[in-house]
Amino acid sequence: MALSGMRGLSVFISDVRNCQNKEQERLRVDKELGKIRTRFKSEKGLKPYDKKKYVWKMLYIYMLGYDVDFGHMEAVSLISAPKYPEKQVGYIVTSCLVNENHDFLRLAINTVRTDIIGRNETFQCLALTMVGNIGGREFSESLAPDVQKLLVSSSCRPLVKKKAALCLLRLYRKNPDVVNVDGWAVRMAQLLDERDLGVLTSSMSLLVALVSNNYEAYWSCLPKCVKILERLARNQDIPQEYTYYGIPSPWLQVKTMRALQYFPIIEDPNTRRSLFEVLQRILMGTDVVKNVNKNNASHAVLFEALALVMHLDAEKEMMSQCVTLLGKFIAVREPNIRYLGLENMTRMFMITDVQDIIKRHQAQIITSLKDPDISIRRRALDLLYSMCDVSNAKDIVEELLQYLSTADFAMREELSLKAAILAEKFTPDLSWYVDVILQLIDKAGEFVSDDIWFRVIQFVTNNDDLQPYAAAKAREYLDKPAIHETMVKVSAYILGEFGHLLVRQPGFSPREIFNIIHEKLPTVSTSTIPILLSTYAKILMHTQPPDPDLQNQIWAIFKKYESCIEVEIQQRAVEYFALSRKGAALVDILAEMPKFPERQSALIKRAEDTEVDTAEQSAMKLRAQQLSQTSNALVVSDQHPTNGTPAVMVNQLGLLKVPNPSTRSNMDNDSEDQRLPQVNGTLSKVEALPQSADLDGVLLDTLAIEGPPSSIVQPKSNSNLGLGGIAVESSALVPVDQQANAVQPIGNIAERFRSLCLKDSGVLYEDPYIQIGLKAEWRAHQGRVVLFLGNKNTSPLLSVQAIILPPTHLKTELSLVPETIPPRAQVQCPLEVVNLLPSRDVAVLDFSYKFGNDMVNVKLQLPAVLNKFLQPISISAEDFFAQWRSLSGPPLKLQEVVRGVKPLPLLEMANLFDSYSLTVCPGLDPNPNNLVACATFYSENTRAMLCLIRIETDPADRTQLRMTVASGDPTLTFELKMFIKEMLVSIPPAIQKPPQASPTPLQQASDVAASTDPGAMLAALL
Amino acid sequence: MPVAASAVYFLNLRGDVLINRLYRDDVGGNMVDAFRTHIMQTKELGTCPVRQIGGCSFFYMRISNVYIVIVVSTNANVACAFKFVVEAVALFKSYFGGAFDEDAIRNNFVLIYELLDEIMDFGYPQNLSAEILKLYITQEGVRSPFLSKPADKPVPNATLQVTGAVGWRREGLVYKKNEVFLDIVESVNLLMSSKGSVLRCDVTGKILMKCFLSGMPDLKLGLNDKLFNFFLNIFFNYGKTIELDDVTFHQCVNLTRFNSEKTVSFVPPDGEFELMKYRITEGVNLPFKVLPTIKELGRTRMEVNVKVKSTFIEKLFALGVVVKIPVPKQTAKTSFTVTSGRAKYNASIDSLVWKIRKFPGQTEATLSAEVELISTMTEKKSWTRPPIQMEFQVPMFTASGLRVRFLKVWEKSGYNTVEWVRYITKAGSYEIRC
Repeated sequence: MALSGMRGLSVFISDVRNCQNKEQERLRVDKELGKIRTRFKSEKGLKPYDKKKYVWKMLYIYMLGYDVDFGHMEAVSLISAPKYPEKQVGYIVTSCLVNENHDFLRLAINTVRTDIIGRNETFQCLALTMVGNIGGREFSESLAPDVQKLLVSSSCRPLVKKKAALCLLRLYRKNPDVVNVDGWAVRMAQLLDERDLGVLTSSMSLLVALVSNNYEAYWSCLPKCVKILERLARNQDIPQEYTYYGIPSPWLQVKTMRALQYFPIIEDPNTRRSLFEVLQRILMGTDVVKNVNKNNASHAVLFEALALVMHLDAEKEMMSQCVTLLGKFIAVREPNIRYLGLENMTRMFMITDVQDIIKRHQAQIITSLKDPDISIRRRALDLLYSMCDVSNAKDIVEELLQYLSTADFAMREELSLKAAILAEKFTPDLSWYVDVILQLIDKAGEFVSDDIWFRVIQFVTNNDDLQPYAAAKAREYLDKPAIHETMVKVSAYILGEFGHLLVRQPGFSPREIFNIIHEKLPTVSTSTIPILLSTYAKILMHTQPPDPDLQNQIWAIFKKYESCIEVEIQQRAVEYFALSRKGAALVDILAEMPKFPERQSALIKRAEDTEVDTAEQSAMKLRAQQLSQTSNALVVSDQHPTNGTPAVMVNQLGLLKVPNPSTRSNMDNDSEDQRLPQVNGTLSKVEALPQSADLDGVLLDTLAIEGPPSSIVQPKSNSNLGLGGIAVESSALVPVDQQANAVQPIGNIAERFRSLCLKDSGVLYEDPYIQIGLKAEWRAHQGRVVLFLGNKNTSPLLSVQAIILPPTHLKTELSLVPETIPPRAQVQCPLEVVNLLPSRDVAVLDFSYKFGNDMVNVKLQLPAVLNKFLQPISISAEDFFAQWRSLSGPPLKLQEVVRGVKPLPLLEMANLFDSYSLTVCPGLDPNPNNLVACATFYSENTRAMLCLIRIETDPADRTQLRMTVASGDPTLTFELKMFIKEMLVSIPPAIQKPPQASPTPLQQASDVAASTDPGAMLAALL
Repeated sequence: MPVAASAVYFLNLRGDVLINRLYRDDVGGNMVDAFRTHIMQTKELGTCPVRQIGGCSFFYMRISNVYIVIVVSTNANVACAFKFVVEAVALFKSYFGGAFDEDAIRNNFVLIYELLDEIMDFGYPQNLSAEILKLYITQEGVRSPFLSKPADKPVPNATLQVTGAVGWRREGLVYKKNEVFLDIVESVNLLMSSKGSVLRCDVTGKILMKCFLSGMPDLKLGLNDKLFNFFLNIFFNYGKTIELDDVTFHQCVNLTRFNSEKTVSFVPPDGEFELMKYRITEGVNLPFKVLPTIKELGRTRMEVNVKVKSTFIEKLFALGVVVKIPVPKQTAKTSFTVTSGRAKYNASIDSLVWKIRKFPGQTEATLSAEVELISTMTEKKSWTRPPIQMEFQVPMFTASGLRVRFLKVWEKSGYNTVEWVRYITKAGSYEIRC
């Protein structure tokens, strides 16, 4: 290389290499750096040779890991040297030392450009390499056209073309917006005709990047890709040097198939047929051979082909062929292949309807569970999990349970969770489910999360015929010598609740049950003791006729724990002790737990959360979004807000602790509580009040760790999230002209509007030509909105028009909008808004422009909605109640029972209110199920007006609530009530809200509604 | 006595074990690997001499190009361990004839093993006195040929020696000429602000003694210390006295007599030893004053002016004066004018190094330099301006002002002795901020 003949450099390098330790090396390097600095500074004697030598040294020092923060100038200047060796150093060192944001690069751009457009091939290559390596924005802007020209020029040799393609790829990846690829499709198609495989491979990489961004433009490339595949796989028409172990250029094959996966579908039957022919050939022609390299290459091609087959939804025949092939792979000894086989089978399972065929391989998959390689075991577990359904659930769960005792510790938690989920999902009968969970706890107690045993108890409590069976089973397990603590918890709970059902059977007398549970007491931790205490209390209650001996024994235990340091235990002991002296009242208080409300399993939800992470990637995901009609639940659930957050859990606990005044036992409970402080002076009254429900509430709340039902069971909310924008937004924009359809907006307009209702700046509308941003400021009843109209194109937008169609309650003033928006420019249009009256109606911006021959007209809702004129305030309890009382009865105070509310925990509802500027005042309402909020509303007519809201929720049925709204103005009261109702009924606010929400209220309060009718009608129109 | 070591390792700079000795079974033989991976190959090296890794404590110390690592798993006495290392190194040096480095260790494997067996037993330090050990470990180290061989001595009863009352001195020594050499070596540590105010200043000194005396002499040393001269001052007004802090004595000094009579009296070991160490924090005479002015002119030029003044009397002179003036890393070109000595730019320590071989008292020397910097890419972080460092040696000068008043030798036979006293002051960390 050029190093030869540079003695100074090689001496330096050998010096550094001979250094005994780091310290010596540093000294040597510092010395050399000092020397280089001196030489660079003294301009006179620096010959090109010296310069080159020192710059090489700098690079070497830089590569050793030292900071080189000077001399870039010299490196850059070498680029313009006439001779190859110097130019080479210049390019190499610049691309190593300088990053893309560096100012020095500007100096180099011109030189680089002359090299690129020059005739010297070696220089062209050097320049292209460096541009590709650095690839900054400035390079893209100034050099991309030249690189593009180079790529399509006919005079270039393949070597240069190859580099140009890769360079362009890099520039495009970095700044897709800067590289102009409009109309580039034709060129791309031409490039794909290239005979030289090197150029073809590079161009294919470029195509993959282009297509991944926007496949629409490149339809013409599709048949070419298929041709290439044909040429490679069928005709094997390639030069010798491009085959790898006899496989014709596997890299190009893989890339081509990857590119094809970005196209949603292949319409042309001929192309489709020939593609399938090729794929068939690949599928058939691949086999496992000895040579590792050959295997790797051929399998890379094969698995890409499989992915393509799955993507294209091939005929069942072909699919089954794939499955057979995969079946062959998972039986192979080579772990890599087996891993890939399992993974692809999992993928295939999610996409296609060949599940039955896959199920034939169940036995083989189960064997893979015992593989020494953990990653294979995991894959096998995933696959088993996903292929489980009602028909084979029993086998698979059985198998998993068996495997559990030998499984890796790292896998046990996942395994137990999955077994529990499968058992629950596909249980043929509930007793089997109980069996499975108890076995699970028995075998892997420490890996069974609380959710699992909470769930089994829910089931048992809710199914009367299951209770005796569960109790018998629990008793059985308690007989075992060493059982896990979780098992103690479950058994104690079940026996406490349902042990009395089996009292006639041997071994189920209260005394025996007590003894066997009490045996475990010394071995358990503090979290279990409360459960045991509850069990004792229940046993005591169920002992009929009373057994004084047992009673004394249990009382002694309560007494003992009365001074326990753990508050929970102490409190229970004190309360149970006091209660158990009440005699007959005990039966009511400690009655059997009520049925749990039916809810979705926390487990399944958890599993969904985890599965989202492991869902398929890249092309597959893209495809799933494009074809979301057939999308599986996994992808949809991705977009839902996750429910299992701790905040929700806390809230749930709070909800369930609340006594329900409708049940008699709780009433008693309350009155009991009033007396408690006298019995036990240590408890303060304040504390005692909320704890009243604890008697059964704590038992309950440990079981109630669940969020609201997730949207999986609610197809309604799925529809507007999962299906992506297009369907929904067309309903949002009813009066759109035919012309408007020519330009599709980017993103969901309704979604954007909704989010803008909650925040003050963001994007209102976007399509390929224009982006409308919005920034708003609200002060009392006035607002100032600035619209940002940004032209995204290189040509101007003509006849731009923006008209505001204000509803009656708003006074708007839009400043002049210019007729044309220059290319790549942004225009600001301020808009003044004054709120005259309270109303829910929405102002509409009628916006139109002309691009080329397309006339585009959109009607956009402006986020000047009711809540923008609300301001949060905090208010004291006295003020609130004074106001509340003074506003009595309709029309100032309106009440309505709202049904069909989307169930929300109270905390989330409070957050929702807060986000709409309604201040939630905690503690004003004694009933924690209720929610009180207030705000000040500003309009020109009403001025500042206090609004008070009270929501009473029903813990038993979260879909209904009673809402009372009060304010000093009847219109405001009505409008605000309707606003909140809409907000509650459709969270997130659905687009269909006006037609959906309006019918009932309009009839109920028609007199008030009449006054705002025009606005409402306008809203309905939109 | 506490345990000092479970194992001792001698490593070279790369971390290869040169020699090791396990004294107890509670540490594994591979503990040194932990040291290598967790300390030597990280930046931790040199930050803290005591580290704990996986239940074992590592005490380490670098001496020339050798790391000495002590591994213990119990709660050991760290000070004892380090003292042991220092003493052991002194012992090795006296056996090898001065040098202690990787090569010396490689050349003396057998001897070192023998010594290691002797100086520590089951983790407890034993007799480390070279004089005594040489009685029974008679194997000579491989000495460099230039050092003179000491005269062969008769080997008396070693056991008697080790167990006797004066364990550090052999009986029956006879010298033709009875001589005592006393060296007072002080090193001055200074940190001065750029405005010339002293931020931190102290002197650490030691008195080294070399005895060639016959028989069992009793020596008495008098210094101009406040404590020693309390009475003398009262009666005779001896003039200036100084206050010594942190005085430590060699084991031969009779401490009971020091406590009662405030005199340093002792029966010296034969040959060279360190009689006492002390520290002084007040009333330090600084031998040099440094007045630096460093101006940054724009981004690429600097002007450096340093004036050094000697404050000791004209008769004395300093040797080997080196002033290191730090400059920024991007220094490219330097030019100097100096009134004496020579200056040059040393890129590997990023400093201008100004050397003056002989610096007479009550004179001054100046250096003015122009420094050109190269422009750099990274937005310039302002230069931190590290302090100027100085090295020197001033013979016959003590920064503390300590003087030997008398040194009396008394022996039964009543021979005459010749006493030689020498003073020297060196620079410790002598730093001036600029």
